[in-house]
Amino acid sequence: MGPAIHARRLRKTFRTGAVAVNGFDLQVLPGEVYGLIGRNGAGKTTALKLLMGLLRPDAGEVRVLGRSLWDAPRGHRQRVAYVSQGQQVPDWMSLTDLGRYTGHFYENWDSALLKEHAVRWELPMDVPIARLSGGNQRLAALALAMASRPEVLLLDEPAAGLDPIARRELNSCLIDVLLRGDGCTILLSTHLLGDLERLATQVGIMDHGRIVAEGAVEDWQRTMRRVQVVFAEEEAPRDFTIPGALKSQTLGPVVTALARIADDAQLAGVRALPGVRVNVFTLTLEELFVDWFREPSAERPEDRQVDPSQPGFPARAAS
Amino acid sequence: MAPKLHLQIDDRSGVPVYRQMMDQFIYYVAGGTLRPGDQIPSIRELAAALGVNPTTVVKAYTELERAGFVEKRHGKGAFIAANAQALTTAEQEDALRRAAKQLAVEATQLHMSTPKVIDVVREELGALSNDRAADEAPVKFAVMNGGR
Repeated sequence: MGPAIHARRLRKTFRTGAVAVNGFDLQVLPGEVYGLIGRNGAGKTTALKLLMGLLRPDAGEVRVLGRSLWDAPRGHRQRVAYVSQGQQVPDWMSLTDLGRYTGHFYENWDSALLKEHAVRWELPMDVPIARLSGGNQRLAALALAMASRPEVLLLDEPAAGLDPIARRELNSCLIDVLLRGDGCTILLSTHLLGDLERLATQVGIMDHGRIVAEGAVEDWQRTMRRVQVVFAEEEAPRDFTIPGALKSQTLGPVVTALARIADDAQLAGVRALPGVRVNVFTLTLEELFVDWFREPSAERPEDRQVDPSQPGFPARAAS
Repeated sequence: MAPKLHLQIDDRSGVPVYRQMMDQFIYYVAGGTLRPGDQIPSIRELAAALGVNPTTVVKAYTELERAGFVEKRHGKGAFIAANAQALTTAEQEDALRRAAKQLAVEATQLHMSTPKVIDVVREELGALSNDRAADEAPVKFAVMNGGR
């Protein structure tokens, strides 16, 4: 079976000249839950819109369930649901009206499921959407998206603006979708990395319009570490790097790195250095994210990559 | 009848979620709350109760099975294996060692002397054994209200 979501070298430049997405590659397999994370302005929303066929890419290929949604027939588009950040639903209508109206366009429309979510999230069915709170408007948009029984669900910061209880409800609703067992694939962008630890199977970090790192959540949790090496001298040796370091920073005698440590033996050589102290810390996704984007030179991601195959790589350029 | 379990997932621990689940099952076995032959929750049940991806529960159960703690019975579900309790001794030591490692790191950062660290540990152990009900071994996760 091919990937549910496929994007290759996607590029989108806006009329202002801003390059929102550039060199965006993504493969999401059926049944996976993929979490897209990144700073504001990294291009997450544009990438999702390109996948959804709401924007046309300048270059590159994009396929969801085997074809581009930009020019797919309605029957194909129906298999994919998308909830944007500022979801615009006709807000003079009530959820009941909207369900009836939207349901017309979908073959698999499940009005019972819409009702179930409305009850669960305490959404009034017969009040115009405009009269609901911001958080409830989001939940209403999500309930509508779920009711189409999509095979692929694209969610742009679904939990933004939700209170902790509503967030928990949203998560358990996504778990329900996964438990339904017909292989729904979910791609969501979020800043709530704690939720991703429970939900996502894969995570990708997006920066400057492309995915700069991705991996299985549990693999990251198992292998990504913050490693701190403290030298006894005033300054760490200039040519020192921590094996497996992805990002590294030196301040006087202290070298700190975000490193992939598959096996502690990897650090045996460092531990054996005379007078050196080595500390290894586990990281949550959130800490990993923060370490990844830690200064210096947030503008140029290439500069911050440490290539472990180059032993002489300076951990921090003189700035 | 399966005992009531209170599993808890900590998003802020940096420990993989499947590993957290595994550890808690092992603690339950070590503490005697789960006994050989006890049925453990279904994948659906646990995923829904903890709000975690079902594939993660599958992973935890598969690893528990591989380690010999759990056995699957065809069409009936998963059960605590007959010799699970014997396995927990090694696991307990592993778990203790992980915690001790963390303690060692922090003690080093605080520049604590080894005798001082040992004193503190001894004091804490003493304090716990005074509090503890004589007939019940503490199960680390049982006190938390996990699930919903």
